[in-house]
Amino acid sequence: MTATLRPVDAPSGSPPAGARSRGGRGRRSQELAAHLFMSPWLIGLALVTAAPMLASLYLSFTDYNIMSSPRFVGLDNFVRMAGDARFWTSARVTSLYVLVSVPLQLAFALLLALVLDRGLRGLSIYRSAYYLPSLLGSSVAVAVLWKQIFGQEGLVNQALDLIGIQGGNWLQNPDSALWTLIILNVWTFGSPMVIFLAGLRQIPEELYEAARVDGASQLRMFRHITIPLLTPIVFFNLILQTIGSFQAFTQAHVVSGGTGGPVDSTLFYTLYIYQQAFVNFDMGYASALAWVLLLAIAVITAVHFTLSRYWVFYGD
Amino acid sequence: MSTSTLDVEPSLDGRSVRGPAPRSIRRSRRRGAILHHGVLILFGLFMLYPLIWMAVSAFKPSHLVLTDPSIIPTELTLENFVDGWVVGGFPFWVFFGNSVVIALSSILGNLLSCSLTAYALARLQFRARNVYFAIVLVTVMLPMHAVVIPQYIVFSNLGLVNTFIPLILPKFLATDAFFIFLMVQFIRGIPRQLDEAASIDGAGPFRVFRSIILPLMVPALITTTIFTFIWTWNDFFGQLIYLTDSSVFTVPIALNALVDSESNQGTGTLMAMSLISLIPLLLFFAFAQKHLIRGIATTGLK
Amino acid sequence: MGAGAVAGAGALAACGGVAGGGGGASGGALRYAFWGNNVRQTNYQKAFDLMAEQDEELALTVEFAEYSAFQERMTTQMAAGNVADIFWIPSAQVMTYYANDLYRPLDQVESLDLSDYSEADLRDFLLDGGHNTMPFGIFVPVIRYNATFVQDDGVDWPDSWDWDGFAEFAKGYSAEHQDRWAVAYAADADLPFEGWLRQHGEQLWSEDGRIGYTQEGLESWFAWWEDLRGAGATPSIGEQDGVGASWEDVGDRCLAWFSNSNHIVDDATMFPEHEFALSHLPVDPSAPAGHQFLYFPRQAIYSGASDENAERAGEVFNFTTGDVEMLKIVGLTMGAPVNPRVAQEYAEFASPTETAMLEIVTEDREADRSPRFEAPPGSSTWRTVMTRVLEEITLGSSSIPDAAASMIAEIEQSIDRAASGEESS
Repeated sequence: MTATLRPVDAPSGSPPAGARSRGGRGRRSQELAAHLFMSPWLIGLALVTAAPMLASLYLSFTDYNIMSSPRFVGLDNFVRMAGDARFWTSARVTSLYVLVSVPLQLAFALLLALVLDRGLRGLSIYRSAYYLPSLLGSSVAVAVLWKQIFGQEGLVNQALDLIGIQGGNWLQNPDSALWTLIILNVWTFGSPMVIFLAGLRQIPEELYEAARVDGASQLRMFRHITIPLLTPIVFFNLILQTIGSFQAFTQAHVVSGGTGGPVDSTLFYTLYIYQQAFVNFDMGYASALAWVLLLAIAVITAVHFTLSRYWVFYGD
Repeated sequence: MSTSTLDVEPSLDGRSVRGPAPRSIRRSRRRGAILHHGVLILFGLFMLYPLIWMAVSAFKPSHLVLTDPSIIPTELTLENFVDGWVVGGFPFWVFFGNSVVIALSSILGNLLSCSLTAYALARLQFRARNVYFAIVLVTVMLPMHAVVIPQYIVFSNLGLVNTFIPLILPKFLATDAFFIFLMVQFIRGIPRQLDEAASIDGAGPFRVFRSIILPLMVPALITTTIFTFIWTWNDFFGQLIYLTDSSVFTVPIALNALVDSESNQGTGTLMAMSLISLIPLLLFFAFAQKHLIRGIATTGLK
Repeated sequence: MGAGAVAGAGALAACGGVAGGGGGASGGALRYAFWGNNVRQTNYQKAFDLMAEQDEELALTVEFAEYSAFQERMTTQMAAGNVADIFWIPSAQVMTYYANDLYRPLDQVESLDLSDYSEADLRDFLLDGGHNTMPFGIFVPVIRYNATFVQDDGVDWPDSWDWDGFAEFAKGYSAEHQDRWAVAYAADADLPFEGWLRQHGEQLWSEDGRIGYTQEGLESWFAWWEDLRGAGATPSIGEQDGVGASWEDVGDRCLAWFSNSNHIVDDATMFPEHEFALSHLPVDPSAPAGHQFLYFPRQAIYSGASDENAERAGEVFNFTTGDVEMLKIVGLTMGAPVNPRVAQEYAEFASPTETAMLEIVTEDREADRSPRFEAPPGSSTWRTVMTRVLEEITLGSSSIPDAAASMIAEIEQSIDRAASGEESS
């Protein structure tokens, strides 16, 4: 008997049969239990998260220069945003960054996870080696390292020199600067890779055993067991890498020296927010920018969730 | 679900991840393995080149690091480690200690609070569930720089600046929504039948959580541990704004103080101390990932 | 959740206006915030320890960070109203902080000893007519040149240059020496730029807080550099890793380097086999008298500091600017001593590079300088705007006139925005 598993709906509201049969009292006790379980989160929301978030939402409708009180200006910040060329540049740069680096990074992560999951000797050494770049990914040292690779005298140009091509300074060329950051993001595929490995490890062994007993080939098992059961993790990585890449900051800040240069070709959206908040002291505008980003991410995430119905399989 | 494979008797009796395969498959696997190793090593070298460069530079005299960037050093010295060891009047092990305190506390906080929250969101039925889940996601989506100032004001008015509390307390309050979401996804991969079986036997939600779900989500917990450790170890901005006294500096702040954008000194010390700072991370990761393997062997069902 | 929101809003309201909030809340300890790298921090700490030995009231709690990290932390502290008692002021924010009342007026601080300074000096220190910040160093624009190359290549380096003469020399030198350039492209160097403007009858910022130069003035500066770059007298932007040249990349292949006088101290250590010397900027023959200027890095006492701490801060200023022992420990990485007596006392302890810097600064100081004004609120990004505009010029995507116009427009827009916020708040 082959294990064919169909994708099932994303979280729905209907409780499983067991709980329902206990009727009203069961549901009430679930409500109580749920809120008890969530009490740390609720406290955190009240104390640490909600107030600052609501404050920043309020600030987005104000002119606030950090040192004096905020002054309400209504939609001025948003109107300004629409006409702000650098806003559109940063949106374009960030979107390009996300569109290219997320799939690439996840592809590498998944590929390597699958390869490393096959019980090779030295597995943990490889895993550590591939994860090592992620440890360094957002550190100050990266700027120095990246210049050693992509600078005028860097490794890439040295390699190109061997085959007779004269390379330029990749970091100073607006056409290529963003690509160095995309490569940086892909280089740190270790994080999603580790998550994929954890997900692969969680697939129950007996499924493979049963399938092998039935004579299924490696490819068959891969297609019908591994992939479907991995989809929640793929989905997780996709969502979080997308959100994370939209919010990417340190890499651009460190490699471009905080300018987003050359000519704003690496002006990540959050770098622009940072410049407005911490250099211009224009906190109202920075908050407005932040909430626009949040809306954009929320829309994209909602789309992902809707589409997930068609390809993500949950065991419950 | 049309198959009854999952009705199979649970029989994971502590054996290794992949059971012994037939001999013929093992032989062809060995040939493939050599090819695999070759590609993996080559790829690994590509990946590690920047880090190798960094390691070599750590041993070069500081003024040569950038002016003579070849990966084959002409001179070797330990001066960068000596020069970089003391920052702001304190030896580096103080910063390691501070970072470890924050990291371990954060791990504890995240493991406790995020698992509780994730269980409720993934398994319990309550009216507000979808709303809460949406809020969890929204907290991930707002860029840090927009909330950092209001958050700082809150903690500053509470007089908690220059302590570790603003960095640790939120972890106990499930503010790292990333891990909540991670655990939710893992929990949803655990068959509900197990919960139901337990609750039919009279177990309440907490019992189910502790005895069924928690053991089965060990890979998620390990992953949370690893990532929390690494992210708090590398968290520069949050630690920078709350910690002003050199004695409570953490590793990223200390590293940042080694090189100033105004002068060109100190790159060698930056490379040296960054290298040293990687060691605890690497050790931690190597240690924790072994448990990632062992974790699966103990997820047998009671 | 409601309580949290109220608390948050209340906290924000309380922080409006910087007089509220903490300020010196840690009781006795005097907080001193500054920036730099590890070397500077170590040296300053030694000096502070010496100061505390002499007077235990002056024991400092130091808040130290790298330059941009320092500003990030300052920003959050300003928002919460708990800035350090004494703090260095990032150059782009001097008037912004002033406009937001961060500075405690120094004429109220009785302990501050200004006896070493002349009337002219004290006039230099004023901001908007008030003595509210204390300079602690002096920078002037200079040409730093490689004395080793001058000797090796038999260059006839004059005592003073004019711009055309230098340009001609630069092109000739670079053509003759294939492995070197005459000068690094430095159109983004702020002090030399200001020097150029003053020599051509303009200035960087005007007294009423606007841009002090015309489009033609800006264009002429750009044009001078583009002329050199086009002729190969400077490295390409790729070779020097950006419109602001990277010292470690091309520093040992450029004969001359336009920069600030204090950089020589650190930069020389990167190429220990070379010797470096300083010259004044080229001087235009038609430059008006008094075109020289001094730039002061400044420090201030927080307006929210307690009166007791303010008095102690005055003593700290006396030590850090008036005691030569301080300078002997920390060196001159923050420029020439602002106190003329200390400058004289230090002369016998100065290293050769420091002596060169002191001489150049003294010459400019003794000139009868016309006034200069600080950057107005809202102009804090002017240097990044200039960098971006230069990138466009050097990439060929914008002409010099267009680039100059867009730079001026953008900076003026930011100034306007800050000014209108000020009026209505």
